[in-house]
Amino acid sequence: MSHNSNDTGHDHTNREKENVNSRRAFFKNFGLAGAVAAVGGAAIYSGYKYEESKPGHDMVKVLTSDNRIVEVPKDQIKDVRVDTDQLQKQGREGLKGHRFVMVIDLAKCRNARKCISACQGAHHLRPYEYHINTLVMQESEHTAPYFMPKPCQHCDNPPCVAVCPVDATFKRQDGIVLIDNERCIGCRFCIAACPYSARLFHWEEPLMAESDKGKPYNIELNIPQRKGTITKCLFSSDRLREGKLPYCVSACPNGVYYFGDENQDAVTNGTTKETFRLSELLRVNAGYQLMPELGTKPRVYYLPPKNRLFEFKEEKDPVQETT
Amino acid sequence: MIKRYFSLLLIVLISLRLSAQVWVVPAENETRKSPFAFDDASRKAGSDLYYTNCKSCHGEPGKNNAIPLVPPPPDMASAKMQGNSDGAMQYKLISGRGPMPSFKNTLSATDLWRVISFVRSFNPSYKQEIASASAAAGTSAQNVKIVLSWLKETNQVQASISGVKDKVNQPLAGAEVKLFAKRYFGYLLVDEPRTTDALGKAVFNFPKDLPGDSTGYVQLVASLTNDVAFGETKADTSLVIGVPTYRPPLTEKRAMWNVVSKAPIWLLLSYTIAVFGAWGFIIYVLLQIRAIYRAGGRKEND
Repeated sequence: MSHNSNDTGHDHTNREKENVNSRRAFFKNFGLAGAVAAVGGAAIYSGYKYEESKPGHDMVKVLTSDNRIVEVPKDQIKDVRVDTDQLQKQGREGLKGHRFVMVIDLAKCRNARKCISACQGAHHLRPYEYHINTLVMQESEHTAPYFMPKPCQHCDNPPCVAVCPVDATFKRQDGIVLIDNERCIGCRFCIAACPYSARLFHWEEPLMAESDKGKPYNIELNIPQRKGTITKCLFSSDRLREGKLPYCVSACPNGVYYFGDENQDAVTNGTTKETFRLSELLRVNAGYQLMPELGTKPRVYYLPPKNRLFEFKEEKDPVQETT
Repeated sequence: MIKRYFSLLLIVLISLRLSAQVWVVPAENETRKSPFAFDDASRKAGSDLYYTNCKSCHGEPGKNNAIPLVPPPPDMASAKMQGNSDGAMQYKLISGRGPMPSFKNTLSATDLWRVISFVRSFNPSYKQEIASASAAAGTSAQNVKIVLSWLKETNQVQASISGVKDKVNQPLAGAEVKLFAKRYFGYLLVDEPRTTDALGKAVFNFPKDLPGDSTGYVQLVASLTNDVAFGETKADTSLVIGVPTYRPPLTEKRAMWNVVSKAPIWLLLSYTIAVFGAWGFIIYVLLQIRAIYRAGGRKEND
């Protein structure tokens, strides 16, 4: 150790010399490399310009949105990406200033099943996968049976949302309860919590899994559906955004469904397109909610099946057989 | 064999029973005629209306692909359908029956005739009869204008209607007006339809409890029932006559189901206390172990 420390003075000057040399060499090399890069860059750029101006590009015919056929170079085509973040954001927030509400008139339902097939078509469900269940109800032995369509009740105090461990199912400001299939882990707590059995689990690969592959996920439509996740009635929130009535409501041929905004005190019948005061409709017809004693505060009201328009038929009616 | 005959008989009986359910059209409606001649424009507009409103049940005309309802919706090109007079078709569109909905509120009077015009294009032998001009002249007018105003004292809405009649701009008497309030999915009929007086004015009672927007604005729409004679005129006015309504978003309150930042205070508190308590206990135990270790080390050094 002590021997080394005696030699330090000589070592130091030598190293300094080397350092100076290497610094000079570095600047020299840097200048050269810079010049080479500039020349090379210019050459590549002019080559690119030349390539671009050449007419013999691979051209593709494209139909524009205003119905013109134009030619564009193949390598310049970019895929249009739908802003999925925006879809998620608007889907989570909901429509401002609205509180959507549905009224189902049991007197008019004859189990035509048009609501169900419209819903299944929109959300890519199989014929045995229901967002709306139609139940055959009979209060007691001597009372007349009737049909009761039962979608998700979109409760104001939703037990399903409270139990979700991953914030996949949520309630929006306009009252709609939605499910995010991309967050859902398939634990099915919500199915267990829902007193209305409104939720459905994809045990098998969804109906249009192949053709929906790669589509941007729309949280307001639940498309593409996902195996191992939950799906449920969405009050057709994608249609509501456009100011249109839900799929089921406008598909009903018998005027069973009314849909509207509680804030505006109005509901519109999906069949006749006639608009009524919500408060008056519920008061005059003695509207009720399903299991209000649970404190779930449903957003779906029922009108009792008095003066039914159709005879109850236990056997399959022809409409049902064709759907 | 007997069973087969029996089922055949049953089918015949059922079809007889169905055909017996004739849709009776009042004589007054039966003879109604379109006030305008059916042309390519009306057929084109009617075709669009047909495909959006009727096709889902009646199918495409001439293809017999209606859906099997009871009673079956007839095909547009069928003899049964074309056997109706123009007036009968209009009556059936307005009134509806069973599964056939009424289009009274969905289609305007002009649109109804446009649909009929489209349906008639599938009948090569059809010769149109137009409603006599004299009947229409008495009630028709051009450049019809509707002005809406609010009568504050009585909480009524007044519609003043004027139009060019006999080349003079004058108030229109005897025109039936409907007043609607625009809602998110449709138009709410505010009051019964009223007929204008000699001064061309009609007054509607406005409900006291109809919600408007946050400042009380309600968008009012008035239209004339007889849009065939007066043209498709609409007034679209926003007046401050509703109850100012602001309801907070449903996600604003703290609740068990809401997002973390909107969770109930007691839940946030008890959760925080529980987490800090558990970690605090673990850290306390670790510190104690360290203290014991150190105490042991000191003893060894001594």
